[in-house]
Amino acid sequence: MKIIKNISVVVILILLPSLLIPFHSKHDNLFLWIIIFLIVAFFIFNLIIRKSLSFKNYFTSKFNLFTNKVRYKKTFDLPNDLMYQKVIEVINDSKFKLADTDKEKFEILAISTMSAISWGENLYIDFETKGNETIMHFCSTTFFQMYDWGKNEKNYTVLLNEIESSLTI
Amino acid sequence: MPIIVNLDVMLAKRKLKLKELSERVNISTVNLSILKQGKAKAIRFSTLNAICSALNCQPGDILEYVDDSVLLTE
Repeated sequence: MKIIKNISVVVILILLPSLLIPFHSKHDNLFLWIIIFLIVAFFIFNLIIRKSLSFKNYFTSKFNLFTNKVRYKKTFDLPNDLMYQKVIEVINDSKFKLADTDKEKFEILAISTMSAISWGENLYIDFETKGNETIMHFCSTTFFQMYDWGKNEKNYTVLLNEIESSLTI
Repeated sequence: MPIIVNLDVMLAKRKLKLKELSERVNISTVNLSILKQGKAKAIRFSTLNAICSALNCQPGDILEYVDDSVLLTE
């Protein structure tokens, strides 16, 4: 249902400028309208695909100039599967929203909501086993913003603090 | 760490599974697993109270202090 809603919004946003251009602008403004249309379409496209782990490489790629990302890693003295479940539990109890998970690859995608300084960020978390420990790889990326205003780093700090405090049982 | 959690021993004595305890004490199985493996950073009195009540035991049955030197020799 949500996908249908998103697609309908995209269709409307694509059709709307093309309907408005002939009536409300001269040919001089055509280029401007095309640019606005492309930006809006690109924004909507990113907004739709952000909730899937399938597009992780697209958002976290160093060649994607429209996103700003930070990467951290932290070692925990917990087994991989337990750590994976713990992080899911922490995300569900936090201000972040769990968007997608992959139990086979031990990957998690959480999203943060829109704020005054950001359209929201994607938090990609994956886990690597090293002996009895688990290395948590964390990547926070904006989905349509070239400067993050420190939000990516803040996301990492908030999530890490919540994980640490959740280890008091 | 010199504090050892004997939750698995108590569970075996009471013939309970972790999931059953989880339902009784209203603490997630993930948290109980972390506690059972001795990976928790701290334990709340409320948690200890709930576990002792569910397992009908004393805190000392769940937590045990073992000197570091003893642990090393083992």
